[in-house]
Amino acid sequence: MANDSSDFARSMAIATSGLRAQAGRMRVISENIANADSTSQTSGGDPYRRKVPTFSSALDRTLDAQVVTLGKIKPDQSNFRVKYEPNNPAADAIGNVKYPNVNSVVEMTDMRDAQRSYEANLNIISATRRMIQRTLDILKS
Amino acid sequence: MSINDLPVLSALRTKMQWHQERQRVLSENVSNSDTPKFRPRDLVEPKLDKSGAVTGSMGPLAMTVTSASHMTPSGAASSFDQNKNAGFETRPAGNAVNLEEEMMKAASNQMDYAAATSLYSKSLHLLKTAIGKG
Repeated sequence: MANDSSDFARSMAIATSGLRAQAGRMRVISENIANADSTSQTSGGDPYRRKVPTFSSALDRTLDAQVVTLGKIKPDQSNFRVKYEPNNPAADAIGNVKYPNVNSVVEMTDMRDAQRSYEANLNIISATRRMIQRTLDILKS
Repeated sequence: MSINDLPVLSALRTKMQWHQERQRVLSENVSNSDTPKFRPRDLVEPKLDKSGAVTGSMGPLAMTVTSASHMTPSGAASSFDQNKNAGFETRPAGNAVNLEEEMMKAASNQMDYAAATSLYSKSLHLLKTAIGKG
């Protein structure tokens, strides 16, 4: 074997990398939802731009396994929602206000997706723990 | 002949090693279930002959490291054959991991491992009975 840690320890570490990546994704999603109505502070300026998390698979050389990492968090380049609100302080010369390009339905589905992936990683950890327990049970009998 | 050379025990040990390594491969698949262009992998179950040795191929040969400062080649080394065509439906992002399937595989892997470990401890118990301490 290429390194000292056992396959079980590596399974746990890989699943933990998945947990960390999904938790980072949840952070970005909550940022988007919290800022769903954050308009610009200046008149006619750009509001909050939705952020998109990216994942990448990387070879962890100490573990010798493919772990997942949260890559760069990129801005969503789609158009802002424009509403006609002349009395809003963020309105431009003709009374239009730009609202963030956050769609709460999309964020909700994304959140559920992150939740499921997180649960899947937790399942792997508990399955691995049970397998380790079985190994230790050989000693007891 | 040591206890470890008994066919039953060595076959069970190989099987347990295979389950451990499969668990690692499955957790790689699950943690990368949202990574674009990731293809899931799986291990091919080893075929054992009567003496408990593995027949057929035993995975790719490991590269020899001639100096301690050399890095290991990329791609996790495995002592069992890999099946790289595990995924059958690919999402638009190029990811072919099916979470339900991986969960099912992890559960069955765990149950088979439990079966192998209890068989192992029963065999040890049998030996104890034979020596007269059971």
